[in-house]
Amino acid sequence: MLVNNSKTDDTENGNEKIQEKLQDIKDQEGIIGYILRGSKKASIDLKDPTKIIDYAVLSSAAFDAGHNMTEALQMGEVETIVVESEETKLLSMNINNHRLSLFMEKSVDHNKLYKNLK
Amino acid sequence: MNREPYVIALSNAMTEIKKAYPDIKNSFIFTKNGTIITGDQETDEKIINNILESFQNLKEKAKAIGNLKSFHITAKNGKLTLSKIKDMHLLLATSKHADKNHIYSITHVIIPTILKTLETFAPTHLQFTPPKKLVVDTLGRFFAGDSVQIDAEILRNWTKNIDPRARVKATITGEENTQESIDQVQIETFGGNAVVCKVKEINDQNLKGKNMIRIPEKLCKTLEINKGDLVTVKPAL
Repeated sequence: MLVNNSKTDDTENGNEKIQEKLQDIKDQEGIIGYILRGSKKASIDLKDPTKIIDYAVLSSAAFDAGHNMTEALQMGEVETIVVESEETKLLSMNINNHRLSLFMEKSVDHNKLYKNLK
Repeated sequence: MNREPYVIALSNAMTEIKKAYPDIKNSFIFTKNGTIITGDQETDEKIINNILESFQNLKEKAKAIGNLKSFHITAKNGKLTLSKIKDMHLLLATSKHADKNHIYSITHVIIPTILKTLETFAPTHLQFTPPKKLVVDTLGRFFAGDSVQIDAEILRNWTKNIDPRARVKATITGEENTQESIDQVQIETFGGNAVVCKVKEINDQNLKGKNMIRIPEKLCKTLEINKGDLVTVKPAL
Protein backbone atom coordinates (compact mmCIF):
# COMPACT_ATOMS: atom_id res chain seq x y z
CA MET A 1 0.00 0.00 0.00
CA LEU A 2 2.81 2.29 0.97
CA VAL A 3 4.64 1.41 -2.23
CA ASN A 4 1.55 2.26 -4.25
CA ASN A 5 1.21 5.63 -2.55
CA SER A 6 4.82 6.36 -3.17
CA LYS A 7 4.41 5.50 -6.84
CA THR A 8 1.39 7.80 -7.10
CA ASP A 9 3.36 10.57 -5.46
CA ASP A 10 6.21 10.08 -7.90
CA THR A 11 3.83 10.24 -10.86
CA GLU A 12 2.12 13.33 -9.49
CA ASN A 13 5.48 15.00 -8.90
CA GLY A 14 6.53 14.03 -12.39
CA ASN A 15 3.37 15.50 -13.87
CA GLU A 16 3.82 18.73 -11.95
CA LYS A 17 7.35 19.00 -13.29
CA ILE A 18 6.12 18.45 -16.86
CA GLN A 19 3.43 21.07 -16.40
CA GLU A 20 6.05 23.52 -15.14
CA LYS A 21 8.32 22.79 -18.08
CA LEU A 22 5.41 23.18 -20.51
CA GLN A 23 4.54 26.55 -19.01
CA ASP A 24 8.09 27.68 -19.75
CA ILE A 25 8.15 26.14 -23.21
CA LYS A 26 4.84 27.62 -24.34
CA ASP A 27 6.19 31.15 -23.92
CA GLN A 28 9.21 30.44 -26.10
CA GLU A 29 9.37 31.92 -29.58
CA GLY A 30 7.72 29.80 -32.26
CA ILE A 31 5.69 27.59 -29.91
CA ILE A 32 2.06 27.30 -31.00
CA GLY A 33 0.84 25.28 -28.04
CA TYR A 34 0.51 21.81 -26.56
CA ILE A 35 -1.91 19.01 -25.75
CA LEU A 36 -1.09 16.80 -22.77
CA ARG A 37 -3.44 13.87 -22.43
CA GLY A 38 -3.63 11.45 -19.52
CA SER A 39 -6.04 8.60 -18.95
CA LYS A 40 -8.49 10.78 -17.02
CA LYS A 41 -7.81 14.38 -17.99
CA ALA A 42 -6.13 16.53 -20.60
CA SER A 43 -4.43 19.93 -20.54
CA ILE A 44 -4.63 21.98 -23.69
CA ASP A 45 -2.96 25.30 -24.31
CA LEU A 46 -3.05 26.58 -27.87
CA LYS A 47 -2.56 30.12 -29.13
CA ASP A 48 -5.51 29.70 -31.47
CA PRO A 49 -8.35 28.00 -29.54
CA THR A 50 -10.39 27.49 -32.73
CA LYS A 51 -7.89 24.81 -33.73
CA ILE A 52 -8.28 22.66 -30.62
CA ILE A 53 -10.34 19.93 -32.27
CA ASP A 54 -8.24 19.71 -35.46
CA TYR A 55 -5.00 19.63 -33.46
CA ALA A 56 -6.36 17.04 -31.02
CA VAL A 57 -7.40 14.82 -33.95
CA LEU A 58 -3.97 15.24 -35.57
CA SER A 59 -2.22 14.42 -32.29
CA SER A 60 -4.24 11.25 -31.94
CA ALA A 61 -3.59 10.29 -35.61
CA ALA A 62 0.15 10.81 -35.12
CA PHE A 63 0.22 8.45 -32.11
CA ASP A 64 -1.88 5.88 -33.99
CA ALA A 65 0.36 6.05 -37.08
CA GLY A 66 3.47 5.83 -34.92
CA HIS A 67 2.14 2.79 -33.08
CA ASN A 68 0.91 0.99 -36.23
CA MET A 69 4.07 1.60 -38.25
CA THR A 70 6.55 0.65 -35.56
CA GLU A 71 4.53 -2.45 -34.75
CA ALA A 72 4.38 -3.44 -38.44
CA LEU A 73 8.14 -3.01 -38.80
CA GLN A 74 8.95 -4.42 -35.35
CA MET A 75 10.79 -1.32 -34.25
CA GLY A 76 9.82 -1.44 -30.61
CA GLU A 77 8.30 1.23 -28.41
CA VAL A 78 7.88 4.73 -29.88
CA GLU A 79 10.04 7.45 -28.35
CA THR A 80 9.23 10.47 -30.50
CA ILE A 81 7.08 11.28 -33.51
CA VAL A 82 7.63 14.37 -35.64
CA VAL A 83 5.11 15.48 -38.26
CA GLU A 84 6.25 18.34 -40.51
CA SER A 85 4.33 20.54 -42.91
CA GLU A 86 5.72 23.52 -44.85
CA GLU A 87 5.55 25.91 -41.89
CA THR A 88 4.51 23.97 -38.83
CA LYS A 89 5.60 20.84 -37.03
CA LEU A 90 4.37 18.61 -34.28
CA LEU A 91 6.48 16.72 -31.75
CA SER A 92 4.67 13.88 -29.99
CA MET A 93 5.95 11.64 -27.24
CA ASN A 94 4.85 9.52 -24.29
CA ILE A 95 5.88 11.01 -21.00
CA ASN A 96 4.87 9.82 -17.51
CA ASN A 97 2.00 7.77 -18.96
CA HIS A 98 0.76 10.90 -20.69
CA ARG A 99 0.63 11.65 -24.40
CA LEU A 100 2.23 14.99 -25.14
CA SER A 101 1.94 16.80 -28.46
CA LEU A 102 3.80 20.06 -28.90
CA PHE A 103 2.94 22.26 -31.89
CA MET A 104 5.55 24.69 -33.12
CA GLU A 105 6.86 26.66 -36.06
CA LYS A 106 9.22 24.76 -38.31
CA SER A 107 12.25 26.78 -37.26
CA VAL A 108 12.05 25.59 -33.63
CA ASP A 109 14.62 22.96 -32.62
CA HIS A 110 12.39 20.07 -31.51
CA ASN A 111 15.39 17.96 -30.40
CA LYS A 112 16.23 20.59 -27.82
CA LEU A 113 12.64 20.54 -26.54
CA TYR A 114 12.68 16.74 -26.39
CA LYS A 115 15.88 16.74 -24.33
CA ASN A 116 14.37 19.31 -21.98
CA LEU A 117 11.18 17.28 -21.46
CA LYS A 118 12.74 13.81 -21.30
CA MET B 1 2.47 2.90 -71.92
CA ASN B 2 5.18 0.63 -70.52
CA ARG B 3 5.96 1.44 -66.87
CA GLU B 4 8.65 -1.20 -66.59
CA PRO B 5 11.82 0.84 -67.38
CA TYR B 6 11.00 3.45 -64.73
CA VAL B 7 10.05 0.96 -62.07
CA ILE B 8 13.18 -1.07 -62.79
CA ALA B 9 15.36 2.05 -62.63
CA LEU B 10 13.91 3.10 -59.28
CA SER B 11 13.97 -0.43 -57.93
CA ASN B 12 17.63 -0.87 -58.89
CA ALA B 13 18.48 2.47 -57.35
CA MET B 14 16.82 1.48 -54.08
CA THR B 15 18.67 -1.85 -54.05
CA GLU B 16 22.01 -0.12 -54.59
CA ILE B 17 21.25 2.48 -51.92
CA LYS B 18 20.46 -0.32 -49.48
CA LYS B 19 23.77 -1.99 -50.29
CA ALA B 20 25.65 1.25 -49.76
CA TYR B 21 23.82 2.05 -46.53
CA PRO B 22 23.39 -1.19 -44.57
CA ASP B 23 21.55 0.73 -41.84
CA ILE B 24 18.49 0.78 -44.10
CA LYS B 25 16.19 -2.10 -43.14
CA ASN B 26 13.09 -1.36 -45.19
CA SER B 27 12.38 1.06 -48.01
CA PHE B 28 9.68 1.75 -50.51
CA ILE B 29 8.31 4.50 -52.72
CA PHE B 30 4.64 5.21 -53.25
CA THR B 31 2.50 7.89 -54.88
CA LYS B 32 0.38 10.49 -53.13
CA ASN B 33 -2.62 8.26 -53.83
CA GLY B 34 -0.98 5.28 -52.15
CA THR B 35 0.09 3.33 -55.25
CA ILE B 36 3.31 1.43 -54.49
CA ILE B 37 5.95 2.05 -57.15
CA THR B 38 8.79 0.02 -55.77
CA GLY B 39 9.83 -1.56 -52.51
CA ASP B 40 12.50 -3.82 -51.09
CA GLN B 41 12.06 -7.55 -51.44
CA GLU B 42 12.15 -8.22 -47.69
CA THR B 43 9.12 -6.15 -46.74
CA ASP B 44 5.88 -8.07 -46.95
CA GLU B 45 3.18 -6.44 -49.10
CA LYS B 46 0.69 -6.76 -46.27
CA ILE B 47 3.00 -4.75 -44.01
CA ILE B 48 3.45 -2.10 -46.67
CA ASN B 49 -0.32 -1.79 -47.13
CA ASN B 50 -0.75 -1.52 -43.38
CA ILE B 51 1.77 1.32 -43.23
CA LEU B 52 0.19 3.06 -46.22
CA GLU B 53 -3.23 2.95 -44.59
CA SER B 54 -1.87 4.59 -41.42
CA PHE B 55 0.00 7.15 -43.45
CA GLN B 56 -3.00 8.13 -45.60
CA ASN B 57 -5.03 8.67 -42.43
CA LEU B 58 -2.30 10.81 -40.88
CA LYS B 59 -1.85 12.80 -44.09
CA GLU B 60 -5.54 13.67 -44.08
CA LYS B 61 -5.47 14.82 -40.45
CA ALA B 62 -2.19 16.71 -40.95
CA LYS B 63 -4.02 19.18 -43.19
CA ALA B 64 -4.72 21.00 -39.91
CA ILE B 65 -1.10 22.23 -40.05
CA GLY B 66 -0.75 22.39 -43.87
CA ASN B 67 0.42 19.82 -46.39
CA LEU B 68 2.45 17.04 -44.84
CA LYS B 69 6.10 17.16 -45.92
CA SER B 70 7.73 14.58 -43.72
CA PHE B 71 7.09 12.21 -40.87
CA HIS B 72 9.72 10.81 -38.50
CA ILE B 73 9.50 8.22 -35.78
CA THR B 74 12.25 7.36 -33.35
CA ALA B 75 11.55 4.04 -31.67
CA LYS B 76 13.44 1.82 -29.27
CA ASN B 77 14.94 -0.31 -32.06
CA GLY B 78 15.01 1.95 -35.06
CA LYS B 79 14.00 5.07 -36.93
CA LEU B 80 11.44 5.62 -39.62
CA THR B 81 11.57 8.53 -42.08
CA LEU B 82 8.82 9.29 -44.53
CA SER B 83 9.61 12.11 -46.95
CA LYS B 84 7.64 13.77 -49.71
CA ILE B 85 9.66 13.90 -52.92
CA LYS B 86 7.79 15.81 -55.61
CA ASP B 87 4.50 13.92 -55.90
CA MET B 88 5.81 10.78 -54.27
CA HIS B 89 6.70 9.54 -50.83
CA LEU B 90 9.78 7.64 -49.78
CA LEU B 91 9.78 5.54 -46.64
CA LEU B 92 13.04 4.50 -45.02
CA ALA B 93 13.20 2.37 -41.90
CA THR B 94 16.69 2.31 -40.47
CA SER B 95 18.57 1.14 -37.42
CA LYS B 96 18.41 3.55 -34.52
CA HIS B 97 21.95 4.83 -34.97
CA ALA B 98 21.75 5.41 -38.72
CA ASP B 99 23.64 8.52 -39.79
CA LYS B 100 21.27 11.49 -40.06
CA ASN B 101 23.33 12.94 -42.89
CA HIS B 102 23.07 9.71 -44.89
CA ILE B 103 19.30 9.68 -44.56
CA TYR B 104 19.20 13.35 -45.55
CA SER B 105 21.32 12.76 -48.63
CA ILE B 106 19.09 9.86 -49.73
CA THR B 107 15.82 11.74 -49.27
CA HIS B 108 17.01 15.15 -50.45
CA VAL B 109 19.71 14.39 -53.01
CA ILE B 110 19.92 10.84 -54.34
CA ILE B 111 16.26 9.93 -54.95
CA PRO B 112 15.29 13.40 -56.26
CA THR B 113 18.29 13.26 -58.63
CA ILE B 114 17.23 9.83 -59.93
CA LEU B 115 13.69 11.07 -60.53
CA LYS B 116 15.05 14.16 -62.30
CA THR B 117 17.32 11.97 -64.42
CA LEU B 118 14.37 9.85 -65.51
CA GLU B 119 12.58 13.01 -66.54
CA THR B 120 15.65 14.28 -68.42
CA PHE B 121 15.88 11.04 -70.38
CA ALA B 122 12.36 11.43 -71.62
CA PRO B 123 12.83 14.07 -74.34
CA THR B 124 15.80 12.35 -76.00
CA HIS B 125 15.00 8.68 -75.61
CA LEU B 126 11.39 8.29 -74.80
CA GLN B 127 9.44 11.13 -76.33
CA PHE B 128 7.24 10.02 -79.16
CA THR B 129 4.69 12.35 -80.67
CA PRO B 130 3.90 10.78 -84.04
CA PRO B 131 3.06 13.21 -86.85
CA LYS B 132 -0.21 12.50 -88.60
CA LYS B 133 -1.04 12.46 -92.27
CA LEU B 134 -4.41 14.13 -92.61
CA VAL B 135 -6.74 14.87 -95.52
CA VAL B 136 -7.42 18.55 -96.13
CA ASP B 137 -10.91 19.95 -95.98
CA THR B 138 -11.34 23.66 -96.53
CA LEU B 139 -13.10 26.01 -94.20
CA GLY B 140 -15.25 28.39 -96.30
CA ARG B 141 -14.49 32.01 -97.07
CA PHE B 142 -17.05 33.12 -94.47
CA PHE B 143 -15.03 31.44 -91.75
CA ALA B 144 -13.55 34.34 -89.82
CA GLY B 145 -11.01 32.52 -87.62
CA ASP B 146 -7.42 31.58 -88.45
CA SER B 147 -7.35 28.25 -86.59
CA VAL B 148 -7.31 24.83 -88.20
CA GLN B 149 -9.54 22.07 -86.88
CA ILE B 150 -8.48 18.52 -86.02
CA ASP B 151 -10.22 15.53 -84.52
CA ALA B 152 -10.35 15.75 -80.70
CA GLU B 153 -9.07 12.17 -80.41
CA ILE B 154 -5.82 13.03 -82.23
CA LEU B 155 -5.27 16.07 -79.99
CA ARG B 156 -5.84 13.95 -76.88
CA ASN B 157 -3.31 11.35 -78.02
CA TRP B 158 -0.71 14.02 -78.68
CA THR B 159 -1.38 15.63 -75.31
CA LYS B 160 -0.68 12.33 -73.56
CA ASN B 161 2.70 12.08 -75.28
CA ILE B 162 3.92 15.59 -75.51
CA ASP B 163 5.21 16.72 -72.12
CA PRO B 164 8.03 14.41 -71.08
CA ARG B 165 7.86 15.47 -67.45
CA ALA B 166 4.13 14.91 -67.22
CA ARG B 167 4.45 11.72 -69.22
CA VAL B 168 7.23 10.27 -67.07
CA LYS B 169 5.29 11.17 -63.97
CA ALA B 170 2.16 9.54 -65.34
CA THR B 171 4.19 6.52 -66.40
CA ILE B 172 5.85 6.07 -63.02
CA THR B 173 2.76 6.64 -60.99
CA GLY B 174 0.31 4.97 -63.35
CA GLU B 175 -1.90 7.97 -62.82
CA GLU B 176 -3.58 10.05 -65.50
CA ASN B 177 -1.58 12.66 -67.37
CA THR B 178 -3.23 15.99 -66.71
CA GLN B 179 -1.23 18.01 -69.26
CA GLU B 180 -3.27 20.84 -70.76
CA SER B 181 -4.43 20.73 -74.38
CA ILE B 182 -2.33 21.51 -77.46
CA ASP B 183 -2.78 25.04 -78.79
CA GLN B 184 -0.72 24.99 -81.98
CA VAL B 185 0.23 22.56 -84.74
CA GLN B 186 2.78 22.52 -87.53
CA ILE B 187 1.39 21.69 -90.97
CA GLU B 188 3.72 20.55 -93.73
CA THR B 189 2.70 19.96 -97.32
CA PHE B 190 4.28 17.50 -99.75
CA GLY B 191 5.45 20.52 -101.71
CA GLY B 192 7.61 21.49 -98.74
CA ASN B 193 5.54 24.43 -97.47
CA ALA B 194 5.10 24.62 -93.73
CA VAL B 195 3.23 26.76 -91.27
CA VAL B 196 2.50 26.86 -87.56
CA CYS B 197 -1.05 27.81 -86.65
CA LYS B 198 -3.60 27.61 -83.90
CA VAL B 199 -5.66 24.46 -83.60
CA LYS B 200 -9.13 23.62 -82.33
CA GLU B 201 -11.26 20.49 -82.24
CA ILE B 202 -13.45 19.75 -85.25
CA ASN B 203 -16.89 21.07 -84.44
CA ASP B 204 -18.78 19.39 -87.32
CA GLN B 205 -20.08 16.04 -86.00
CA ASN B 206 -20.12 14.53 -89.54
CA LEU B 207 -16.37 15.06 -89.98
CA LYS B 208 -15.22 13.57 -86.68
CA GLY B 209 -13.05 10.44 -86.78
CA LYS B 210 -12.30 10.80 -90.52
CA ASN B 211 -8.60 11.72 -90.29
CA MET B 212 -9.28 15.20 -91.61
CA ILE B 213 -7.84 18.62 -91.04
CA ARG B 214 -10.04 21.61 -91.76
CA ILE B 215 -7.95 24.54 -92.96
CA PRO B 216 -9.23 28.07 -93.72
CA GLU B 217 -9.21 28.78 -97.47
CA LYS B 218 -6.79 31.67 -97.07
CA LEU B 219 -4.26 29.39 -95.38
CA CYS B 220 -4.79 26.72 -98.08
CA LYS B 221 -3.76 29.28 -100.66
CA THR B 222 -0.65 30.19 -98.69
CA LEU B 223 0.30 26.52 -98.44
CA GLU B 224 -0.65 25.88 -102.09
CA ILE B 225 -2.94 22.99 -101.20
CA ASN B 226 -6.49 22.03 -102.11
CA LYS B 227 -9.32 20.04 -100.60
CA GLY B 228 -8.43 16.29 -100.59
CA ASP B 229 -4.65 16.80 -100.45
CA LEU B 230 -2.60 15.05 -97.77
CA VAL B 231 -0.59 17.07 -95.27
CA THR B 232 1.62 16.09 -92.36
CA VAL B 233 0.55 17.57 -89.03
CA LYS B 234 2.32 17.50 -85.67
CA PRO B 235 2.07 19.43 -82.41
CA ALA B 236 4.09 22.66 -82.37
CA LEU B 237 6.32 22.69 -79.27
